[in-house]
Amino acid sequence: MSALRKIAAFFWRDFAIARGYRGALVLEIVEALFGAATFFYLSRFVESPELERALPAGSNYFEFALVGFAFFDYLNVALGAFDSSIVEARQNRTLEALLVTQTPLAVILAGSAAYPFVALALRTCVYLGWGALFFGFAPRSANWPGAIVILAASILAFAGLGVLSASYQILFKRGNPAKWLVLGVSGLVGGMMYPVAVLPGPLRVVARLIPVTYSLEGMRAALLAGAGWGELWRSLAALMIFAVVLIPLSFAVFAWALRRTKVTGTLTHI
Amino acid sequence: MAASAIVGENLEKYFPPALSGWRAWLHPVAKPTQCALAGVSFAVGSGEAVAIVGHNGAGKSTLLRILATLIVPTHGRATLGGFDVEREGGGARRQLGYHTGGDEGFYTRLTGQQNLEFFAAMNNLQGAEAQRRIAEVTECMGISGELDRQVRTLSTGMTHRLGLARALLHGPAVLLLDEPTRSLDPLAAADFRRLLKDDLVRRRGTTLLFASHTLSEVEEIADRVLLLDHGRLVACDSPARLRASTGAATLEGAIARLARTQAAVEATP
Repeated sequence: MSALRKIAAFFWRDFAIARGYRGALVLEIVEALFGAATFFYLSRFVESPELERALPAGSNYFEFALVGFAFFDYLNVALGAFDSSIVEARQNRTLEALLVTQTPLAVILAGSAAYPFVALALRTCVYLGWGALFFGFAPRSANWPGAIVILAASILAFAGLGVLSASYQILFKRGNPAKWLVLGVSGLVGGMMYPVAVLPGPLRVVARLIPVTYSLEGMRAALLAGAGWGELWRSLAALMIFAVVLIPLSFAVFAWALRRTKVTGTLTHI
Repeated sequence: MAASAIVGENLEKYFPPALSGWRAWLHPVAKPTQCALAGVSFAVGSGEAVAIVGHNGAGKSTLLRILATLIVPTHGRATLGGFDVEREGGGARRQLGYHTGGDEGFYTRLTGQQNLEFFAAMNNLQGAEAQRRIAEVTECMGISGELDRQVRTLSTGMTHRLGLARALLHGPAVLLLDEPTRSLDPLAAADFRRLLKDDLVRRRGTTLLFASHTLSEVEEIADRVLLLDHGRLVACDSPARLRASTGAATLEGAIARLARTQAAVEATP
């Protein structure tokens, strides 16, 4: 049976579970409206010549922040999807049952993240949709294929960080300082709420060392400025380098962590 | 005896001691010093039913978890269906069904059917074949009428049967069960024992290795008994021969005598 069919089985499992919580689904859609509204009203007070210069051509701060917030969530979900799948499987005792099946670990990990990423993609559409419907977000010149490719590359790069985070989770069970460090640094210097250009020099250097900076730059360029492939390639190449390095590295670290838990006998400990 | 379905060769398992506070960070790389299994060697023939008995902490679950590829031995080697459980885990997992005697391990918001469909997919079963196997094993377990209910609404006994159905979905040649009737009422436990012995072992030829504290259950199901004490294999024989060799009237008496003899041997300087 192909890995894709198994990943689909994970997706339908999680979809069926989420369907059992319809109220939460509706509240999430409403919450996205509140988020979009917050950025809209905030943007009416944020004006500075420095910011104007740093924004993508033809865009305003509301669009900048809306895209930043919506797509920063991919890093958030990547860092949470893998390790929360392990925490949940440990808590409901399904981890052992999964690990004695004929499904390789890599497929279990990929499958566990399938639904959260698809759900996030829909949530992103809802976010942007509210922005367009009520607050004048109008990406008329957007390069949609470019945005989709940037998003795919971002997910790959972030997934590497997510699997590293899951490695920590499987070894140490609780808390995850590495995850909060990555999220904290990325939130501070990654350009979610303000352009990287407004940061002092040393923080700009740090910003260049994390994938979310390239993801948000590429996404804004594609969506807000309608940038072509020639302008997107730098962000895309950086994201692919992160993915090529992080994915094999993270799977190797995860395999080592899993092996250690099989040695220590703590695989299913909560 | 038929060809061996399970073989353990000088299996040893040591765990690192529990560490707390900042030292817990070192636990994944701490030196394993606490002995759970100390050089256990045995073989289980194809189609044989073998029980593992011993007091709490004797190493029963550790042995089963090694065979189920969930932990790795510190020394020694085990094969299941000819596959080394450590180096050829994928091959070993194709051969085995594993179930612990609890009612956990399911997605409780999903129905029994949805759970079985998911685990069927994880075991490379799909479409009509998966549906046929689900119908077959749930009929056999007597739970086919309960599959449309969410697992959280099922009784402990029903969930337990669902667990065994899951373990049998892919038609494993070897079944590993850890205290299989732990959470069942006496009538359900008796049904379950009949199912194991008559249907799975006798009729289908499944190899069964199970851990149990219930000696009447062991006498009813097992062809042979592996007695573990502090991680050591003390005896491996049929219940009748264990009784005869120790001169005890019951299996319980035989096990008690063997354990006392082992304790005396260990106490000898």
